[in-house]
Amino acid sequence: MIGARIPRVEDARFLRGEGRYVADIRLPFAVEAYLVRSPHAHARLRTIDPQAALSLPGVETIVTGADLPADLPPIPCRIPTHGDLEPFLQYPLARGVVRYVGEPVAVIVARDRATAEDAADLLVVDYDPLPAVASAEAARAPGAPQLFPAGNVAAEWGFDIGKVDAALAGAAAVVRESFTVQRHTGVPLETRGLLAFYDGARRVLEIHGPTKVPHTNRATLAAMLRMPHAEIRMIEPDVGGSFGVRGEFYPEDFLIPWLALRLRKPVRWIEDRVEHFAAINHSRESRFDVTAAADASGRLLAFDVRLVSDLGAYIRTHGAVVPSHASASFPGPYRIRNYRVQASAILTNKTPSGTLRAPGMFEANFARERAIDLLARKLGLSPVEFRRRNLIGPGEMPWFVGTESVRRPTVFDSGDFPDIFARTLAELGWDEAPARKSEGSIRRGRGLAALVEPSALGPFEGGRVEVDADGNVDVVTGATSQGQGHETTLAQVVAEVLGVPIERIRVRHGDTALIPYGGGTYASRAAVMAGASLFEAAQKVRTRALRVASEKLEVAETDLELRDGRVEVIGVPGRGMALGAIARMLSPGNPELLRPPTDAVIADHEGLAAIAYVRAVPSGTSVFAVHAAEVAVDVETGQIQVERYVVGCDIGRALNPMIVEGQIVGGVVQGIGGTLLEELAYDEFGQLQAATLADYLLPSVNEVPAITALVFERVRSATNPLGVKGVGEVGPSGVAAAIGNAVANALSGARISSLPITPERVLAAAAERDPP
Amino acid sequence: MKRHAVSLTVNGRASEISVEPRQSLAEALRTELNLTGTHLGCEHGVCGACTVLVGGEPIRGCLMFAVQAQGLEITTIEGLSGEGLTPLQESFRQHHALQCGFCTPGMVLTIHALLARDPAAGGDAIREAIAGNLCRCTGYQPIVEAALAVSAGAGRGVAQEPVKRKGEDDGATRASS
Amino acid sequence: MKPAPFDYVAPVTLADAIAHLEQHGDEARPLAGGQSLVPMMAARLARPAVIVDLNRIVGLSGIAVQREAVRIGAMTRQGAALSSAELRAALPLLTEALAEVGHPATRARGTVGGSLAHADPAAELPAAMVALEATLTITGPRGERRVPADKFFAGAFETAVGGGEVLTEIQVPVNPGEGHAFLEIARRKGDFAVISAAVRLRLAEDGRCSLARVVLGGVAATPVRCAAVEERLLGERSTPALLVDAAARIPMSSIELHSHHASRVYRRHVAPVLVRRALALAVERAGAVRLGTEVP
Repeated sequence: MIGARIPRVEDARFLRGEGRYVADIRLPFAVEAYLVRSPHAHARLRTIDPQAALSLPGVETIVTGADLPADLPPIPCRIPTHGDLEPFLQYPLARGVVRYVGEPVAVIVARDRATAEDAADLLVVDYDPLPAVASAEAARAPGAPQLFPAGNVAAEWGFDIGKVDAALAGAAAVVRESFTVQRHTGVPLETRGLLAFYDGARRVLEIHGPTKVPHTNRATLAAMLRMPHAEIRMIEPDVGGSFGVRGEFYPEDFLIPWLALRLRKPVRWIEDRVEHFAAINHSRESRFDVTAAADASGRLLAFDVRLVSDLGAYIRTHGAVVPSHASASFPGPYRIRNYRVQASAILTNKTPSGTLRAPGMFEANFARERAIDLLARKLGLSPVEFRRRNLIGPGEMPWFVGTESVRRPTVFDSGDFPDIFARTLAELGWDEAPARKSEGSIRRGRGLAALVEPSALGPFEGGRVEVDADGNVDVVTGATSQGQGHETTLAQVVAEVLGVPIERIRVRHGDTALIPYGGGTYASRAAVMAGASLFEAAQKVRTRALRVASEKLEVAETDLELRDGRVEVIGVPGRGMALGAIARMLSPGNPELLRPPTDAVIADHEGLAAIAYVRAVPSGTSVFAVHAAEVAVDVETGQIQVERYVVGCDIGRALNPMIVEGQIVGGVVQGIGGTLLEELAYDEFGQLQAATLADYLLPSVNEVPAITALVFERVRSATNPLGVKGVGEVGPSGVAAAIGNAVANALSGARISSLPITPERVLAAAAERDPP
Repeated sequence: MKRHAVSLTVNGRASEISVEPRQSLAEALRTELNLTGTHLGCEHGVCGACTVLVGGEPIRGCLMFAVQAQGLEITTIEGLSGEGLTPLQESFRQHHALQCGFCTPGMVLTIHALLARDPAAGGDAIREAIAGNLCRCTGYQPIVEAALAVSAGAGRGVAQEPVKRKGEDDGATRASS
Repeated sequence: MKPAPFDYVAPVTLADAIAHLEQHGDEARPLAGGQSLVPMMAARLARPAVIVDLNRIVGLSGIAVQREAVRIGAMTRQGAALSSAELRAALPLLTEALAEVGHPATRARGTVGGSLAHADPAAELPAAMVALEATLTITGPRGERRVPADKFFAGAFETAVGGGEVLTEIQVPVNPGEGHAFLEIARRKGDFAVISAAVRLRLAEDGRCSLARVVLGGVAATPVRCAAVEERLLGERSTPALLVDAAARIPMSSIELHSHHASRVYRRHVAPVLVRRALALAVERAGAVRLGTEVP
């Protein structure tokens, strides 16, 4: 079952329109919440007059910051990285100051969304606009408006490994370039939503809609509401994509449950798309000033990097994780011992930031791989040869980069990088020249990127496996699902261990009432962590079943096997017992197999079930990947068509190759969006220019090239019993790097250093290279 | 606000709903008829998640008011299959043409309508048809492949296998699109 | 994103629709395909108190290809127009422009007249209609009036249609024997144009250009007719050098539009490229038409 390319078990409901997303769930007497948001990037929030709005029929209540508990803590930063980020945290509703367009200032609760929006038209909010800073440069300029008493710089840190200055001084080739990555975000097709209901009789605050890390979110909410964890239940519905941005703890994640408690009726909030663009975590906006050096033989000597990351107006749950990852992973899959980075996380009057698929990696890979191509060109070496000479070899594993992020060292656990590199290029038929020639105004070029994508970060995961009396298997995982197919892959793990047909296994996820502790799904950890915890739990079930069968059948355990939902005597068909029968025997109250009591209390059976929590290896797993792109550039219009894309990667072991390929192909297309099309543009006053899907351009089917996903299973990960590595972020991670290099090569080494690579930038780069 | 009574046929059944003029057809299908398979992804007509068929033709359900549907025949995703999956839906499943499923009803309806009038539609026609449907998860290629597997079968009576082959000695699996 | 409240009427005659519009003045808006108006209402950028639905009125849609002109009812769906073989044979330039308008699902509801009456500077049909020298019929309380396309577009989202009036028909002269091209640059296919070029061209027996119409869309508030380009072509035989020279005569000062997707500088840079390419295609087609060979 593990490694089987089976179609997903969960598909039927989605295909038939029977998926149950949060907006599809109805509770009687529910009211609808609507967040009123600041139209100013920076302003004093003076007064809010709700009288006219409250008088509209169908409006239930309006709350502002003044109505929240005075001692309500801000939303915490949950991931410690660098610096003291406490002074920059966000409260669920603005207090006295608004710091970005879209910051919530009030909540209107009404009978339906349309009425709430009508009421919002009548709400009188008095703002006193303040000067805004809309870029990291502006935020750091002398005399710049300060967002907080503690200033605009949230954190500064760095690494200084080896002897960078000496390496630079002695280098045969040095390149210096600045690379910028634009602000963009994940844009799942489903916007966020919550439906919260306080059941006073059972004393449970039930919330539908959370995803990603519901147990962690429950803990955060419990602390903010001063409620016991056990009185909060978070239930993940079907989720329309996340890519890292949905499921963090946002202002709404406090406000909606708090309103449900206060109003004693179900409160529903469904984000609309325009809201989403201003409210969801933004990401990626950063600038890398890179100095890279090599010796005459093409050996990489040093990277010296200045990284400035624009995190928006507040520090959110992810703190400075994105630039932290970028600063830690910048050196990439190369044998380099001299690396220095000075990083800073800056606050500006824009929407706050968080992680996005391949956080920090997408950006760092772009800057590093472009710099490597520049170095190669300077030395007269091909991009392939330069990389080949510098890739870390298999004998050098595990490789300690020397940096750390999220208090964990950056370590590559396993892999044969040169081998995957060679195989991927062989598949592509790489020989420097693109397969199709340039013609007329069309120039073609190929570009390459090599990278290591970490996965399976995060402390632990839990899983529970239970066989019922009919032999069906109920699986509960602390992981969550936003479309990745966990209901299938995790069932495959359990099916393999227990020998039960997959149709009899049901996987439930994301519900805090079903398992007390859960890690959640992020950092491509589910296959590794949820897989490992369920592997362990299933092994415990298997062990228990074998022991019972051995006793009942009077056969040695070594002569038994699990097959088709039964424990069978090897080589003796028909002699065995069904797992369901074993489960019945192990039900509490079933007297069979019980020993006579030796004291007053008889410990009873616990069913044929087991729960397992597994701890993660701190540095997780790492996947080596090669991205290669072929592009056609129209030098008269600047338009780019990606014609072919190849990703080769070694994931150790695939639970389901079809799902692995799907993650890569889908991820590449998302990366193409971030490389060529997507941008959360702001003007200098902090006004968001891209507020609809007409302005924020996502790739359609027309923007997609032929994509080949080469999935190798060569070196299993030693960090988990399944030997798997997480693959979810490999797809987007190298796209800007590969396409950036391809466009630069198509233009004979023109300067491609800013994302997105728009037609306008292409023309500018071509003109700089060959002035007309 | 005055509510209007609207009589329309949805998935072959006569339905009566009472709506405010400003309710979109997509929203009314969801809230008045509990047909939640039609999704709202943007409400400004760009993403295609709200696609329904009116008289067999795909339209943006969010850009039509429910009151405008008086007397019209609407098909939603729920109206496509009886108990199981249509051949197109099964092909989606075989080709992993969905991940989160949010765009899926719109995609399926759009391709279903295309194949109804052009059963042997080729890759260009399929891409043109779904160019107005956004998907954020799959990268579109498996969707095109799933549709081609059905249309190619219809055109030539030949079953199309997904293009996946295992390398001989390098242990790599490939997916090409 | 729910619209502000409004009242809704769906008259079945044009006279009733006009009466409603006149009665409510600025408070009322006609609803054609809805593909442009409804998103604006969802964002509350447009807040009509009354919506007058034109979709129930009989007789406002249809394509009638007559000998000298094609008459297109304003409520003709863009999709129906695109798939009309008759229209393609008579007005291939219009068909080529329609193929660039949105996507099949938007063309299923969007109307030819609706796009023209909305007059988005980045829309394709206005430029095409100006190039085709169409005449637009506006019907109001005081009857019908006809406005040539180049007078119809008054500004960004502004047309000659006044209070209480409705665009009801478009007449486009048929000119067999011409070459045509409609090309556009957009960030993604189906998006509004960053710049579009609508070109008509006729070659005389001796191969010299006897007619040229070159109109740009997406560069200013209204379509821009490039008279200087046209003049350079008249009487000349087409050569690559001529087309470059002609394209260089685009009035750059008329290219004003600027967005974060495409700056004014970019539009001015690519305008000659697009026009040159459109001219080359139109010349090729004009030649093929004249020779009776297959038109590319």
